[in-house]
Amino acid sequence: MTAASTIDLSYAMPSIDDGKPDERSLVIAAQQGQSDAFAMLVRLHQRRAYAVCRAIVLTHEDAEDAVQEGFLHAYKALDRFLPDQPFGAWLYRIMANASLDLVRRRKVRDADELPDTVPMPFRDPGESDELRRRLNEALQKLTTRQRAVIVLHDVEGFTHGEIGEMLGIPEGTARSDLHHARAALRRLLKDVRSDL
Amino acid sequence: MSDIRLFSNNDDDDGGRLARGLRSLYAAPSGDSYWNELEARIMSRVADVELGWWTELDRWVRPALAAAAVLLIAAGVAMFRARQAENDIAVDSMLSSPAVPVSTAIRPALSDDREARIRFLFGSGR
Repeated sequence: MTAASTIDLSYAMPSIDDGKPDERSLVIAAQQGQSDAFAMLVRLHQRRAYAVCRAIVLTHEDAEDAVQEGFLHAYKALDRFLPDQPFGAWLYRIMANASLDLVRRRKVRDADELPDTVPMPFRDPGESDELRRRLNEALQKLTTRQRAVIVLHDVEGFTHGEIGEMLGIPEGTARSDLHHARAALRRLLKDVRSDL
Repeated sequence: MSDIRLFSNNDDDDGGRLARGLRSLYAAPSGDSYWNELEARIMSRVADVELGWWTELDRWVRPALAAAAVLLIAAGVAMFRARQAENDIAVDSMLSSPAVPVSTAIRPALSDDREARIRFLFGSGR
């Protein structure tokens, strides 16, 4: 059993089985131009979409931007989506691409102007500042893909196959990235106390 | 002894501790108001896309391409048929034209030696 399988996804997708229209019907309605149906799809998927984007970009603000870009891309490409396919997998691949594009743009921009401080993610007031700072610094030292893989797997509970599909890499590569990312974090954080 | 480090030598423990640390770091904003606002922002951008003139243009691209393809095929078929009809008419007219009289079909025999000589001299005799 992996660690990811024990994680409680407190912000998992809402159920769509309790009398509301099913996802396929929503997709078809959205393809026919009903914006209410697309709004419902946004409502159903935005939290998970945010999580995918947040795993790839460095800040909460960038994740918000990537989510909006991703939904916009999805809306424009909706007529090319086959409703019998899983909408979530398609959407999260678009989200991952939007996030990777944003990371690339940020790299180009940051090459010109280096930030004075490392941006911190969305803040949970109950968490130790020191632990968060060290963990955040360690994560910055990973490659974008390693960071994405470890967060998507260990935090969001995606499988290696799903992660590979999202990031456009083979499942084995996702597995290998996860192993290397964990090893790197272990090395970087070996002196950090968990009760900080 | 309680676990005082984020990581131990045990890989399974490491996974759990790491996941807990990461989960707290990557926690999504809670509260419906945040998500309602984000949804509103997304739908606002979608509405901007819908209002663009290129959307209307994009909507007509496929039907226009299909119509153009149908027109091309129809024009091709019409041209083929017209050409075939012309050929049929030519063949029919050739077959139905009155038979050439035997006297003109056969090279007329020269009447006399004189005429033959004249033709030879003026180069028209073949």
